[in-house]
Amino acid sequence: MGGYQDLSIQERMTLSFEAEQFLYQEAALLDDRRFDDWLGLLTEDIHYWMPIRRTTQAKEVHLEFTKPGGMAFFDDDLGTLTLRVKRLSVGRAWAEDPPSRTRYLITNVQVSKVEGDEITVKCNFQLYRTRLNSEEDSWIGRREDVLRRIDGELKLARRHIFLEQTVILSQNLSSIF
Amino acid sequence: MSEAIITSDRLSLDLDTCYDPITGVLDRRIFTDEAIYQEELKRIFGRGWNFICHDSQIPDAGNFFTNYIGEDAVIAVRDRTGKVNVHLNSCPHRGNTVCRAELGTTKSFFCSYHGWNFDLDGSLIAAPNEEAFYKGDLDKTAWGLESAAKVENYKGFIFATLDPAAPPLTDYLGWVGKLGIDMMLVDGPVRFLDGIHKNRLKCNWKFAVDNLYDWYHVKVSHGTAFKVGLVTEEAMAPNDQMVILGEYGHGIGGPGLTHERQAEYDQRLASGEGDPQWYDLSASHRTDPRVREMLGPVGFRSYGHPNIFPNLWITQTRQMCLRIPRGPFETEIWWFNYLPEDLPEANAQQTIFGHNHIFGPAGFLEQDDGENWSHSTRGARGTQSKKRPLNFSMGLGHDTVSKDSSGQSGIEAVVNEHGQRWTYQSWKEWMQADSWQELMENHSTPPEGNV
Repeated sequence: MGGYQDLSIQERMTLSFEAEQFLYQEAALLDDRRFDDWLGLLTEDIHYWMPIRRTTQAKEVHLEFTKPGGMAFFDDDLGTLTLRVKRLSVGRAWAEDPPSRTRYLITNVQVSKVEGDEITVKCNFQLYRTRLNSEEDSWIGRREDVLRRIDGELKLARRHIFLEQTVILSQNLSSIF
Repeated sequence: MSEAIITSDRLSLDLDTCYDPITGVLDRRIFTDEAIYQEELKRIFGRGWNFICHDSQIPDAGNFFTNYIGEDAVIAVRDRTGKVNVHLNSCPHRGNTVCRAELGTTKSFFCSYHGWNFDLDGSLIAAPNEEAFYKGDLDKTAWGLESAAKVENYKGFIFATLDPAAPPLTDYLGWVGKLGIDMMLVDGPVRFLDGIHKNRLKCNWKFAVDNLYDWYHVKVSHGTAFKVGLVTEEAMAPNDQMVILGEYGHGIGGPGLTHERQAEYDQRLASGEGDPQWYDLSASHRTDPRVREMLGPVGFRSYGHPNIFPNLWITQTRQMCLRIPRGPFETEIWWFNYLPEDLPEANAQQTIFGHNHIFGPAGFLEQDDGENWSHSTRGARGTQSKKRPLNFSMGLGHDTVSKDSSGQSGIEAVVNEHGQRWTYQSWKEWMQADSWQELMENHSTPPEGNV
């Protein structure tokens, strides 16, 4: 497959549709708390990363996000993501017991690059969470995902998450983004 | 003792009786009372030495880092002489914040409201149209940024106090505070990493502080970390504990090596069987003669959590954490992360993995803490529930302070609440004192004998 810009409008529409459907189905699994099934969407070499964001002067916006390999809110591979899911089922995962109620809104989906078996997809998201009586969190941000076609099916191979908060205004980040 | 500014007329509780050291019982209204909170800002944060930043965060002239002393926003900035200044981040003209960024580099601090411009040393360089509008009446030497009363550096760690009567930093830290910082330097000088995990909890800051001494909650609050095999229970929650108490509320609580365990390590090391395997990152250091020398005969056997009073928690994971008050019902948690300068790359990556996966809002351990502390705070708001005092009695009267011939002392015990009791006893003394002079005269010295 050639570069995204070389594709016909029909080919782009097909790719966009596939990517959108993947992201919507993934979001539905998370809303339904089907976390084991969610793990099944990930490639063996997934990198899942959310850097720390800071307020900077306009002339120093290059400092806004921490760099890969350094400090981050999430810097996970399949092993640690599996542990995050596993911990929910072993008891005493208090941040999620009682379980959070979440709703993922995925929007502004844009396929930005196609390279071999991989599609880069950007989207905006809102993750709305409530807990207990009146705990309410809302995280808005953008994601840059790499989806890889393996045996005809798309899997998530990379996820970079950029939140719009610097100080995280919630008591924890116990959700999957 | 002079007339206390705080009187029972103004507060809903009596400071004298709010904490009872005989029973270890604490009035929970200290966590929710608005007047108490305002007095804490003045008497504790406004008076104490507060950690601001590490030298390595602002290495060059013009580098700045913004932080807080209580609710006072401050800027730490290195000036052109190499000196670190700490200024109130508030323009003296209309009070506006003069530095909006969390970190960066600048030549001066230019107020975005009317354009008063301040040099790195805080002095007012210029005010727009000064000649025409002020007609020569503006005394620029009197209208610079207000600076902290004192700024001092202990081995690269920069602290500031807003109170000119505060004793020198090293007197304030005493041997226990210094030991806490020295524990971070067991592998040599450190550099702080770019990126501080910050998040906000709905809890009173003191609950976040007393938890750092708490080895009772670990297996319950953080049980999943053991169950999924991220860390072992033996490593994270050993029953052998050592508590070291210092003046002005400083303390170190948590795991300690018994003499027997220490001998075991020494033996294993001498026999050449390899490194100690149990909680290697911290305990293994304790066989190193240089570390023993640096930390002292009692200090080197602790690998627990120091707290520099009031709110600087030091871990054994190459991290430290500020618990910044945001009103009685909110606290900001800031995790600073550092590495020894000479750490081999593989070890550095392992450490950073720990930084990103243990504490912080997404950390496997810490994500489960916030709701507990917030609900402890909430539990102090009900009309009936706030009347029920809290129980900090664990181990009270059952343990002994052992003093080494070097002068260092420690309490060897199982899991206990000595550190928490010392924190609240000290908190009470800070709150009752009207000045540094009074605090110096009236604070308790760390307990001896039976505790």
